[in-house]
Amino acid sequence: MTDKDIRDSLPFRPLSRRSLLKGLGAGAVFSATGNMPGFSGNAQAGQSINYMCWEGYNSPSILDPFQKSNDVAISVDLITDSAGGFAKLAAGAFRDFDLVSSDCPWIARMGPAGISRFINDADFAEQYAEFYPQFRAPFAPLQFEGKATGLPTRWGWVGPTVNTKFDKLETWKSYAPVFDPAYRDKICLLDWGDWPIMPLALYAGVDPYKKLDDKELEEIRKVIRAAFKNTRAIVADLATAQKGLIDGSFRCLIGGGTYCTSSLRNTGHDYIQSIVPEPRNGMKQGIIWMEATGLIANDRDPAIASKFLKYIVSPEVAVKLAITEATCNLVPNQKAEALFTAQQKSALQMDYMWTAWDNSHFHTIAPNIDDMLAIWQQELAAR
Amino acid sequence: MRIEHKSWRDPLLIGATVPLALIMILFFVVPLIMTGILTFQSSRYYRLAWTWDLTIWRDVFGHSHYWVVMLRTLGMSLACVVLSVLIAYPVAYGLATRLGSLRHHVTILITFAFLTDTVLKTFGWILVLDQNGVLNWGLSHLGFEPGAVNILFTPTATLIGMVYNLAVYPIFTLYLSLARIDRDLQLAAYDAGASRFRTFFEVTLPLSRPGLYAGAALVFVLSLGAFLEPKVMGGGNAPMASELINQSFSTRVNWPLGAALTLVLIVIGSASLALSAALTLRRRGGEQGRLSDVG
Repeated sequence: MTDKDIRDSLPFRPLSRRSLLKGLGAGAVFSATGNMPGFSGNAQAGQSINYMCWEGYNSPSILDPFQKSNDVAISVDLITDSAGGFAKLAAGAFRDFDLVSSDCPWIARMGPAGISRFINDADFAEQYAEFYPQFRAPFAPLQFEGKATGLPTRWGWVGPTVNTKFDKLETWKSYAPVFDPAYRDKICLLDWGDWPIMPLALYAGVDPYKKLDDKELEEIRKVIRAAFKNTRAIVADLATAQKGLIDGSFRCLIGGGTYCTSSLRNTGHDYIQSIVPEPRNGMKQGIIWMEATGLIANDRDPAIASKFLKYIVSPEVAVKLAITEATCNLVPNQKAEALFTAQQKSALQMDYMWTAWDNSHFHTIAPNIDDMLAIWQQELAAR
Repeated sequence: MRIEHKSWRDPLLIGATVPLALIMILFFVVPLIMTGILTFQSSRYYRLAWTWDLTIWRDVFGHSHYWVVMLRTLGMSLACVVLSVLIAYPVAYGLATRLGSLRHHVTILITFAFLTDTVLKTFGWILVLDQNGVLNWGLSHLGFEPGAVNILFTPTATLIGMVYNLAVYPIFTLYLSLARIDRDLQLAAYDAGASRFRTFFEVTLPLSRPGLYAGAALVFVLSLGAFLEPKVMGGGNAPMASELINQSFSTRVNWPLGAALTLVLIVIGSASLALSAALTLRRRGGEQGRLSDVG
């Protein structure tokens, strides 16, 4: 799909029966989830922000100070998958939101799709100056035709998550044990959309981030089938996966990485580690994921949302965003590093983060993602 | 009791049915039509494309894995119905005839179990069935090998979860049927020389059929839509239809495909219920014919 195609399919059109239906559909979704934007608990506030985000961004320790100091009420709509969040906004819900925090590739797509505003990097120069050099403007993964679609907010890597009480880290310098009969019924694949597919494809020698031909898709099918054969469970629930990892019924989690490691490490399970396998036949095996926050494009005033965007990437708030109850993740703000405790730094595996970065692909939306998800679905049905 | 026959042209009757009819049209018929319309569109790179073609239906009928999952769902649902009824009948029978003053206490306990959050109960089973769970801990103290029972993340675990969460429905429907049976009919059977066994099969069981059918239908319909149990306890082994539909809607963001699979599941469920209703009516007609012959 070309960028022109994307622009052609923008939701900005004169009001038609179809767009009205889409709007009604989006309204029905909001009503069903009980999160009607614009209806906040803080009815006395002068302004309001409707915020679609992943968990963690909605922490009271993050939202409350901003609400109080700016006399603003923030209504949150939590998303559980980035693609679903994108689809919801694209179906018309973008009219009601001010901010969105989602996976970087989806934020990057929202600019050209007309869902989020392009931001002027110069307006955020102060924020960029505090970031690690890798995330400073122009930050390529969030750029479209020289314009930025948002600011990076959290990141980490995808690789084997290992309990070192049971396995040596050296064992997982490759994804080979996933297919080793010695590990039969000891592997847990995380049922998180495309996340478990990508590392398996990389192990098969296929770069899933390029346009794939039938032969390469067949290779991906084979590697998914082989992994399923050895897998004990395909689990979507993080707590179940973490419990199995701790008690040893799962020897390794595939498709997760730091997202399912850091909170365990922060609560004392520092023997749990996520690593990035070594390159195989010249192909990097790790994946860097990143979340970003963008400003929604609609006729609402973006001033207060823009202020929140600057607020959420500031060092003090970035620390709160990094360490949440459910997950702990790295943040792009370099100045924030000094504010972490030694335990938090250890939990986030900060001493390893640039090694992981150097040995990883940056996660983007794969051109053949739907083909790969269809293969996953077919092979899952055959289990 | 005098039964008053009313015409459908009666304005009072029409007035009384209009609110319900409107609710049904608005919240059942319209969404169903919209779901049907969605199946003739397609999904292009996570966006709905209004194409008005048969692409999705070709996809559904052209890939066997969708039907494998649908048939598996049907099989699991039927197994769940059988197991639930087999468990529910003795429980309901005991409640209705044997527990005496304890009946209300047991009913309250069952109601509490029923009202406890299903998510909580299902995740609780993980702690029981896990390799290092309560069950294996107990068995190891009885001399069994550690991890002797390894059924978590299998279809068996899914079925256990489904039966556990759904068996309560036939318990209540059967209890209501059994409690309404005239005790004199059973005593008359004993007086006529029937054994307990024969009395049960010729008096109690036939008279409790309404509760049995209602409970079975409830379990069947709810089993078809079971999502939590296969997802949490099945661990991706032998996934069921609702998981397939959820994947299509949320992970693949292919709403037309999800809508088509939803309709397929509705048709399979409705057809199964219609078939079982037809067989039941046919059987009942045969029994009534035999009785009139005897008379």
